[in-house]
Amino acid sequence: MSVLDKLKLDDKVAIVTGAGRGLGRAMSIALAEAGADIVVTARTKTQIEETAGLVRQTGRKALPVSCDVTDSSSVNAMVEATVAEFGRIDILVNNAGGYTAGYNDELADISDETWRIGIDTNLTGAVFCCRAVIPHMTAAAQTGTGRGKIINVTSGFGLRAGRNNFSYTAAKAGLINFTRALSMTYPATIQANLIAPGLFPHGQKALIDWWKGGKFVPMGRLGLDEELGPICVFLASGLSDYMNGQIIVLDGGGLAGGQAPTGFAPVIPMEVA
Amino acid sequence: MHARRKDGNVLEGFSLAGKSAVVIGASNPLGRAAAIALAEAGANVGVATTTRAKKEEVVANSCANEIWALDRKGFALAIDASLESDIDALAERAASEFGEVDVLVNAHDLPYAQPIGDISFDDWRRAMDVNLGGVFLACKIIGGAMVKQGKGRIINVATVLGERGMANGTAYCAAQAGVLNMTRALALEWARTGVTVNAIGAGWTEGMGIIGGDENRQQLERYLPYKRLAKPGEIRGIAVYLASDAAEYLTGQVIWIEGGALSHA
Ligand SMILES: NC(=O)c1ccc[n+]([C@@H]2O[C@H](COP(=O)([O-])OP(=O)(O)OC[C@H]3O[C@@H](n4cnc5c(N)ncnc54)[C@H](OP(=O)(O)O)[C@@H]3O)[C@@H](O)[C@H]2O)c1
Repeated sequence: MSVLDKLKLDDKVAIVTGAGRGLGRAMSIALAEAGADIVVTARTKTQIEETAGLVRQTGRKALPVSCDVTDSSSVNAMVEATVAEFGRIDILVNNAGGYTAGYNDELADISDETWRIGIDTNLTGAVFCCRAVIPHMTAAAQTGTGRGKIINVTSGFGLRAGRNNFSYTAAKAGLINFTRALSMTYPATIQANLIAPGLFPHGQKALIDWWKGGKFVPMGRLGLDEELGPICVFLASGLSDYMNGQIIVLDGGGLAGGQAPTGFAPVIPMEVA
Repeated sequence: MHARRKDGNVLEGFSLAGKSAVVIGASNPLGRAAAIALAEAGANVGVATTTRAKKEEVVANSCANEIWALDRKGFALAIDASLESDIDALAERAASEFGEVDVLVNAHDLPYAQPIGDISFDDWRRAMDVNLGGVFLACKIIGGAMVKQGKGRIINVATVLGERGMANGTAYCAAQAGVLNMTRALALEWARTGVTVNAIGAGWTEGMGIIGGDENRQQLERYLPYKRLAKPGEIRGIAVYLASDAAEYLTGQVIWIEGGALSHA
């Protein structure tokens, strides 16, 4: 098979959480363009229905299912609905997440409940989804229809910290090592990798302004949602079959440097003896 | 400022049709696998050796034959990748065959492992000159031309030994780690030129010289999560992705395809 044919996801079934908007929507559409049927899930019904419509425009099937990933019974029901409709699950993209209350607060001001919501949204939700989906992937692997592909969406903040950014950085960092543990525990039945996006404003003016249009990003621009599509397809496809427990950072060079990505660039001539 | 296709199927962005590539070190299994993968994905590919050793030339020639068999343009050149004049010659050959070079793969590999007390400073320099200096030269000369074109992809191939140490590996490990951090530095330097610079971190791969004898091999097979060495072809996919338009926003990264070797405590 030619190397490009291996990218095709024809007749695979993918669950994408947090698929109502933003990166989850872009990844849903890309997976569908590559040939997969998509279970589109998030809490807001109108948004997942809109994404489902966009998936169907590619010619693939879409099943919108409302689900709160922080509630394991809601997750289990979503997974059951998937199996009832499609009979299998090949790909799971744990993308639901984002900042929750308490972001930017002092640690002393973060209540127990606020902390838990942050960790539940950005870490525990993915754990619940993996726990519910892996038995189905294992069954598929045992019948020889291929290993399952799990793609967890972490963040640059999972690798580096931010001031007054407690639950989000802790949860996203936790998601990284949870993914590594998965990859080592079930290498015969699943692969689990991570995408760490840089700054993706989804075209929202407030975010573009807040991130100064990306002028401090080494490449000089912010990310476009559809740029996450190809890497998601790659990680879901046969092209990445030996990749396990890894992080792909897609950030225009942001994390390649340190404190001052491009600004600090001295020119110092070689000393002649 | 950036030309992104929003229309069109996501898979089209991975095609290398109409692009041309140069792969240095196509005489070792990883470089060869990358060269063939790029050709399969549509690119014309010129390949070169790491050193002028006869056995490297033989592999590079057969790699070029495989590229021609895919109906792509290509050539093989025996070079010493640590010589500026040889890289100039490679750049000229590529320019005359292809015009512009869109993709440069630096898969230089001169395997070398000795207890530090047995390493002469000359041998240290040779290991560094080829494994690290050679990557510098290719980036400077062939990558430099990409900067003038306003587009290009540089893919440096290293292994887990760029991240982890190995007894008797002072020179080899230092050179590989050097390649990885040079990748990050150059990515930043060229972040606004249209040229991306990334690395593939390969695992313990079948046929790579640094593995040594059977005893080492069996020990690795016991310890690795997949209970086997990596196959060279396992870097094919990431090589194509990084070389393609699909990876436009990705720079300064090391992508590991190492079968879990680095997840281990
Ligand atoms: N945008 C960036 O720059 C960036 C950078 C790094 C990492 N990330 C990560 O990438 C992922 C997507 O980010 P985004 O910017 O696309 O976010 P977004 O636009 O806010 O979308 C988040 C999606 O997740 C869903 N979601 C949130 N909480 C949920 C819950 N408890 N249960 C189920 N679904 C839930 C949301 O839908 P409902 O609210 O309707 O449930 C929505 O569909 C997140 O994990 C985020 O942390 C984003």
